[in-house]
Amino acid sequence: MLSKYKKVMLVDDNEVDLKINSKIISISKLFDETILCQSGEEALSYLSKHVDDVANLPDFILLDIQMPEMDGFEFLEIYKKFPASVTDKCLIAILSSTLDFGDIKKAEANPHVIKLLKKPLFPQELEKLLHKYFA
Amino acid sequence: MNAPTVRVLYIDDEENNLHAFKAGFRRQYEIYTAISAAEGLKILENIPVHVIIADQKMPQTTGVEFFKSIINTYPDPIRILLTGYTDIEALADAINHGDIYRYITKPWNDLELHNSIKNAYDAYKTKIDLRNKIVELEKTNDELNRFIYSISHELRAPLVSAMGIVNLVKMEGLFNSSGEYWGLIETCSNKLDYYIQKTLQYYKNNKTVAKHTSVDFSKLINELIELYSYSDRDTHFHVEIKQEVPFYGDVFRIEVILGNLISNAIKYQKEDEKNKKVDINVNVTPTVVEITIADNGMGILNEHLEKIFTQFFKSKINHGSGLGLFIVKEALNKINGKISVSSNTTDGTTFKITIPNVK
Repeated sequence: MLSKYKKVMLVDDNEVDLKINSKIISISKLFDETILCQSGEEALSYLSKHVDDVANLPDFILLDIQMPEMDGFEFLEIYKKFPASVTDKCLIAILSSTLDFGDIKKAEANPHVIKLLKKPLFPQELEKLLHKYFA
Repeated sequence: MNAPTVRVLYIDDEENNLHAFKAGFRRQYEIYTAISAAEGLKILENIPVHVIIADQKMPQTTGVEFFKSIINTYPDPIRILLTGYTDIEALADAINHGDIYRYITKPWNDLELHNSIKNAYDAYKTKIDLRNKIVELEKTNDELNRFIYSISHELRAPLVSAMGIVNLVKMEGLFNSSGEYWGLIETCSNKLDYYIQKTLQYYKNNKTVAKHTSVDFSKLINELIELYSYSDRDTHFHVEIKQEVPFYGDVFRIEVILGNLISNAIKYQKEDEKNKKVDINVNVTPTVVEITIADNGMGILNEHLEKIFTQFFKSKINHGSGLGLFIVKEALNKINGKISVSSNTTDGTTFKITIPNVK
């Protein structure tokens, strides 16, 4: 079966989670390709590099909140300055283990964030979300 | 233990009084004297004085004027005013504006003045102790906040990774590959996660100030059912909601209360029951919301009913954490809600909650 949505980008400083989540995504065959980024900076530089290259931009970004140096919210601050060709294509969901009420509120209030998913990632939950936004 | 050194500054324009004071009190206190307010101020700049005694009638600056002038710069020393019998106006002024602790009439009585200085020093100490305690408390509170925040991240993150690995093991069909070990790891991880979540809920309930927003019960309850029945699809929910008027309340605590009750209703079903069900009824009026959550689960023994809202109460048969219902009760207390329960082991359990509509 062909995957419906082409590229997903995972942004997480935690190598273990990056490994787990990319494996979960590959087993559930939700995407053709997974782009792994270990920091917000790495993700931003990927996006800047492919800013005019829509085919290589991710359709979907799963973003962690707690990261050293640049956290998820700081990433979003810079992300929103990208041209619409990028921000319209890449939908963002937060993927975090946070239970902090402030973090949750802040994530849900961000206009670029379609949903806050909680770790551990459940493929059914992700599929439901994708179905809603890509159908 | 030696008696603490009490530093007293005495300001008077009559040199004789200064001498007399020194002679009378130098054994008990460390005494500084000044012939004018200006001189007194110089001493204050260099010496941390505990008690200041000032004569009211002085040329240039009166005692009250002096006290007023140092209210902001030297707020800590305790002030005693020395005044003649006739100075009612000065007294009223001093009490109203000079923040004085006592006034002593002239000529002073040694014992009376001695007692006043002693009491003044006690007041000084109490004030400083209290301030130190507040600083200490604020620091502890701050640390606690950081600690709780780190529980919700640092402590939980690796646990959630482990839970992710278990999911992966399931997806790869390896869950039963090592006997029951993976299942045991899953149970332990879930239990630990549950404790972390409950601890945070309890803490947040205690700390957070109630915030009132409009609550849509239909949306809230369906979200909660979706969330808690995720791992257990056997239980059927029948939800009936009558909300014709808007409801305003603290959505965080209401979510905690309903979440705990709904998850309990799912968790404590009878294992062999074919038709596991939970009925939820919500009725919103302009003054309150009444919510009933009724299950046909295993029920609660009569002798346990009294104790189910106590912290860490667990029955022997059902392995709860002893926190869920305790948190429900605590959260209801914060928002002036009420709860009652009726239960028996044949029909199951019914919780009735009433929460005031704050608008």
